[in-house]
Amino acid sequence: MQVKIQDKETVTICYVSGDIDINSAPLIRKELEKVLSGKKAKVLVNLKDVSYVDSSGLATLVELLKNIRAYGGKLKVCNMAAKIKTLFEITKLDRLFEILPSEDDAVKSFV
Amino acid sequence: MQSLRLQSQTESIKRASAGIVNFIIEKEKSVHKDILFDIKLCVEEAVRNAIVHGNRSNVHLPVDISYDIADNKITITVEDQGNGFHLEKLPDPTQAENLYKESGRGVYLMHRLMDKVHYNTKRNRVTMEKALK
Repeated sequence: MQVKIQDKETVTICYVSGDIDINSAPLIRKELEKVLSGKKAKVLVNLKDVSYVDSSGLATLVELLKNIRAYGGKLKVCNMAAKIKTLFEITKLDRLFEILPSEDDAVKSFV
Repeated sequence: MQSLRLQSQTESIKRASAGIVNFIIEKEKSVHKDILFDIKLCVEEAVRNAIVHGNRSNVHLPVDISYDIADNKITITVEDQGNGFHLEKLPDPTQAENLYKESGRGVYLMHRLMDKVHYNTKRNRVTMEKALK
């Protein structure tokens, strides 16, 4: 599991690769907290290279969303595999998260 | 019938799911990857619950897993040494007031992704079934 952080225009993009599960969730939380500590206003999590998420992974993303919203920031998610999107739908987390099909769509949607 | 006895430690979660997924792939050549995803996820959620909530992460307490395929259906049982839980007391994680909660989705996902989920009377043993075709 890896997290790469890159700024694109005014958006901070977090590229996560690998599984987001009980093993990797603490590391992802630690890496993404670095973004939050900078109080970034527009954060995008790109899940292009993520093929598996469990309930710990979902919890980690919910925690991130809460923490970003707490300081008035916005978080969006893009490039989600169909199966992972299904998990968001059946847990109704698609009501909390703005899910965009591509990185370009997501970056434009922040403007 | 295959069986595994695992220690109550995090490493056991992946060991259980890998063992069961590999068993399915060996026995049934053309199971769709989405079905394997669901089974992997539900096994991991069940084993994690058994370790954390059932056995309270006491490494000396085992988690017993058994599984078998019959009639294109896999049946998986996960049993811990705990005192069971009250399914009806678990909050619905999809209700608006629970959406921001960070826990409570594991059992819900098991019930949504498997075809059948049932428990023994004590509720320290869960049995899950899923069609492989």
